[in-house]
Amino acid sequence: MTTPPNVPIEPRKGDVHTYDIPSTILDSAGDVHVGLQRDAVRPPSEDEILRVENLSVEFPTEDGVVHAVRGVSYSLREREVLGIVGESGSGKSVSSMAVMGLLPKSARIKGQILFRGDDMLKMSPRKQRSLRGRKIAMVFQDPMTALNPVHTIGDQLAEAVLAHELMPRKNALARAKEMLDLVGIPQAEARLRSYPHEFSGGMRQRAMIAMAVINNPDVIIADEPTTALDVTVQAQILEKLLEVKDAVNAAIVLITHDLGVIAGMAHRVLVMYAGRPVEIGDTDPVFEEPRMPYTAGLLGSIPSLETSGGRLRPIKGTPPSLINLPTGCPFSPRCPLADEVCRTAEPELAETDSGGHFAACHHWDRLAAVEDPTVFFRTESETKA
Amino acid sequence: MTLSADAQAPDSGAEQGMTIVARTQAQMVRRRFFRHRAALAGMIVFGLVLVLAFTSVGFAGIPGWWDQSYITTGALVNQGKPTLSLAPFTIGEHPFGQDDIGVDYFAKTMRGAQQSLIVAFLVGIVATVVGAVVGAVAGYYRGRVEAVLMRVTDVMITIPVLVIAAVLGRRFGDAGVVPLGIVLGLTIWPTMARLLRGEFLSLREKEFVEAARAIGTPARRIIFRHILPNTIGVIVVSATLATANAVLLESALSFLGLGVQAPDTSLGQLIQEYRTAFSTRPWLFWWPGIFIIAIALSINFIGDGLRDAFDPRQTRVRA
Amino acid sequence: MIVFIARRLVISFFVLLAATFIIFVLTAFAGDPLEDLRQDNSPQKLTKIAERSERMQLDVPVVLRYLGWLGRIVRGDLGVNRDGQAIAPILSDALSATLQLVLAATVLAITVGIVIGIISALRQYSGFDYTVTFAAFICFSLPLFWVAVMLKQYVAIEFNNWLKDPVIPPVVIGALALLGGLVFGALTVGDRRRRLVAFAVGLVVSGTLFTVLSVTRWFADPGLGTPLILAFGLATAVGFTALTAGLQYRGPLYATLAAAVIGAVCSQVLGPVLADPTWLEIGGLLLLTIAVCLGLGYALGGLQRRQAMTAATLTGVFTGAMVFLDRMLQAFSAYSASVRHRPVSTIGARTPNYQGDFWQTGLDSAGHLLLPTMALILISLATYTRFSRASMLEVMNQDYVRTARAKGLPERTVVLKHAFRNGLIPVTTMMAFDLAGVIGGAVVTENVFGWRGMGFMFTKGLQEVDPGPVMAFFLVTGTTVVVFNMIADILYAYLDPRIRLS
Repeated sequence: MTTPPNVPIEPRKGDVHTYDIPSTILDSAGDVHVGLQRDAVRPPSEDEILRVENLSVEFPTEDGVVHAVRGVSYSLREREVLGIVGESGSGKSVSSMAVMGLLPKSARIKGQILFRGDDMLKMSPRKQRSLRGRKIAMVFQDPMTALNPVHTIGDQLAEAVLAHELMPRKNALARAKEMLDLVGIPQAEARLRSYPHEFSGGMRQRAMIAMAVINNPDVIIADEPTTALDVTVQAQILEKLLEVKDAVNAAIVLITHDLGVIAGMAHRVLVMYAGRPVEIGDTDPVFEEPRMPYTAGLLGSIPSLETSGGRLRPIKGTPPSLINLPTGCPFSPRCPLADEVCRTAEPELAETDSGGHFAACHHWDRLAAVEDPTVFFRTESETKA
Repeated sequence: MTLSADAQAPDSGAEQGMTIVARTQAQMVRRRFFRHRAALAGMIVFGLVLVLAFTSVGFAGIPGWWDQSYITTGALVNQGKPTLSLAPFTIGEHPFGQDDIGVDYFAKTMRGAQQSLIVAFLVGIVATVVGAVVGAVAGYYRGRVEAVLMRVTDVMITIPVLVIAAVLGRRFGDAGVVPLGIVLGLTIWPTMARLLRGEFLSLREKEFVEAARAIGTPARRIIFRHILPNTIGVIVVSATLATANAVLLESALSFLGLGVQAPDTSLGQLIQEYRTAFSTRPWLFWWPGIFIIAIALSINFIGDGLRDAFDPRQTRVRA
Repeated sequence: MIVFIARRLVISFFVLLAATFIIFVLTAFAGDPLEDLRQDNSPQKLTKIAERSERMQLDVPVVLRYLGWLGRIVRGDLGVNRDGQAIAPILSDALSATLQLVLAATVLAITVGIVIGIISALRQYSGFDYTVTFAAFICFSLPLFWVAVMLKQYVAIEFNNWLKDPVIPPVVIGALALLGGLVFGALTVGDRRRRLVAFAVGLVVSGTLFTVLSVTRWFADPGLGTPLILAFGLATAVGFTALTAGLQYRGPLYATLAAAVIGAVCSQVLGPVLADPTWLEIGGLLLLTIAVCLGLGYALGGLQRRQAMTAATLTGVFTGAMVFLDRMLQAFSAYSASVRHRPVSTIGARTPNYQGDFWQTGLDSAGHLLLPTMALILISLATYTRFSRASMLEVMNQDYVRTARAKGLPERTVVLKHAFRNGLIPVTTMMAFDLAGVIGGAVVTENVFGWRGMGFMFTKGLQEVDPGPVMAFFLVTGTTVVVFNMIADILYAYLDPRIRLS
């Protein structure tokens, strides 16, 4: 599995989806790679749809302020798939909720969220609402609870259309039927009159996808779209998501903790830890040559056919409290490479050696020096042997 | 992962992460309870009323510190009006005044509060014990036991509590507060049983119960040692609210003449006895009313504080 | 659905049967029905005792007595009380008053409670929310009879005295204005400045309102008049349109405005019809209003036809209610004079032998219902407020509400279509429980206000250890609870499609 790091556009699973990516992406990505741009975010370009700059989100609670997201930046271009990986509580969901404008009122949001150059955080609520569901749509994690149990599927789909466009209900329902056909729900006409509880989990997630794309959005945010589903259904849903994305020419922000999903789908990947981006780059370089021990640890802790027989190398410990963050690198308490520097100074995202990707680690060069970076997470039994 | 889980992450993080603060369930509950200001105020008021009611006129043969009796009459002081005054603060001879035949009304109110409290506690205890056991058994065994319980609850819903309580009160009211408290408790247990049944229905499917069953733990032990402790929050909260309701129920019955009977007294009975005196001696009406409200309100606030304390889902976010 | 209802009916029947048995037996054992006669010193003492024992079949085992009672009930015979009077006529007198009281209190508590609960939930942690929560706790802790006696003393007696010369003292106007300001301020969200502005607006508006009412002695001869009806109607038209369809498009707004204008015009045109109508005519007018408004919505609604029809109907009915209220208020001074200027009554369910037209008799029963309903409503109101608040808070945190927002739906649709309907589901289960509580409360309230209603029948029967009247009371209230329970079940099934199937 050695792909040239600079050409991450090809999907990995099969060749069903061919992407017609404008050369500008490659060009400007190339700019970053040769190190002209010191910033981890690519420079704005014509086909950039979404740009998140230095986003941070805080929640005041009785126990103190929760720093859920601290300084996340990324950019998304047309038809691109960006994967965001991280453990629970790493801020990956919160940052995308901020993009959707769905955070509770108590959240303190700073930074910029630019949709085609307009800052969504500065828009009037009405303007924000008109983008939501029409230009930026979302697929949620748990399809069992994300659909309203008391309204029919057809009604819930049609109202997504009617929220943005005044038209006869009949036409909206016809659109809804088309979408159900598109996501592969059989007998779409009859299914419009069904209630969510009459659908299986996979069918509901298909309906959620139909709902997300019904207004031809530019961006689909998929928040762990397969986590709540049976393993056999997961692949189908991901496949469908990519297929539908192509049908409507949308870009996807795919949030997941499943590295396999990212590897199979995403062009670029953003790794988050304790509310911070700790590594960002094109998918292949990040996976082949991780430059942040956390990413390496994640890679070491997934079972795969290649490593079968060998031991898994889990990361020890748990993520830190987002109220009392440790000084220095938030990963240092769990990091096998941590030293005094790590415990005192929090590393910035900086460009590394490997194919233009950025990592927030003081010691990324030590990872670069070894063949298999997961080796630092050797278990005790391995060390003895 | 969802947003709410994010907001709660600090809790688990705080325990396992950098600052290791291990707290037991009881400590967390206590901490949350004492943060609830209304509950704390309720606790103080209730404590004061309790101490005042049981120490002032004496209880169960032990004499109290108040020198007037709730039975013997005396000469009218100040036309029987309350001698209590706040500025300048004096208690006077009869702080709550005297009734129409000169009995000290403070002593009488305290005696009434005592009796009302006894009834309320008994109702709370009886209803909780019966309701918890029936609810637990029905929720755990399901099947016929459950069906019978649900039908009984249906019947009890059809009969308004006040109606069945009145019918029983007519029979047991003059037998004293203890029998009255017990029978009233027997009328309101179905609410608790229903609640607990619901809890048991969901808890019996949990893994730890499966595990206990798998190693051959007897059913009785599973019910009382494994599941019941997990429902302690629900039990405590609804027992508190049942007690608050019992205060009101007892006073309503006594007011209708179907509860505590003269010469014995209770707060409701006092209001009943002097309701016609409202225009001439309004204080005879005010004092027991204020005490009923103080008791019921403080118990209700305590219940609310307990509910907040036992329900960790409610992590309040301040804007 | 029909199977579902039928099954509920059968179960309810047996439940009711079991309940009657329990009540009968317990009542029979509640004491000694001959107690008063045993202390009797008259020479006929023994004959009286024998007579009553014979009539009450005291020598027959209680289970057989119950079966006898059941047999008579099946034949439609309620039997006699222990003094030999037939129960049926007593019951029919008592019935309407009590049912009026119970239903008025329940309907008011449900609507007002749910509205307050929802607003309180949507404004969680606001001043309004804290006030409502605190007030609900107070209501939970108030002894009903005590409140009733207080209301009798302060509201009825003092208010009637005040009505003789209805000038609001400046201090009271100041207090009311302050209250109005506080309500406005507490309901507003936003920063301190916005809340202060709202407070000031509320202060001035309510201050002016009460000053005008006082100066014009409005309370001596109240009424609204067509201009006010029109103004209120137009305001509700805009309000309902904003709630259901939004003000973005014109169609629905035109429909509701038309409904309001037609309503106001009718208050003038319908003069002769409304001079002394019957309830049947009022009902007919209501149906006509609904039909006209549906038509308006259909014709003018455009692409938002459904929402327009709902909004227009609500506006029409509301404006109609204003017209009704206006008429009734106009009859006030004549009515007040005819009851010696004591319109708020403290005793009984109606003024004995009162003769008057539709509006005056309406005012008469309203005047009698006012205080008992106010007392009775407190606990239920608190229950519904707390319950719907909790339910709404729970629902607003659900994933599907987030989905609705993610679709870009306006907040009113998110709340009314997605949250409200789900939030109502648990509230319906509350209804049956609560109604039983209200009936219990009615027993107490009737006692305080001296109504010779069902509650009186029950307490008297119970004091006399006489199962007849007690059972008659229970048959009626038990059936009411069962019917209400069934309505709640059907409503539940209607609201929640998951139940419909099973």
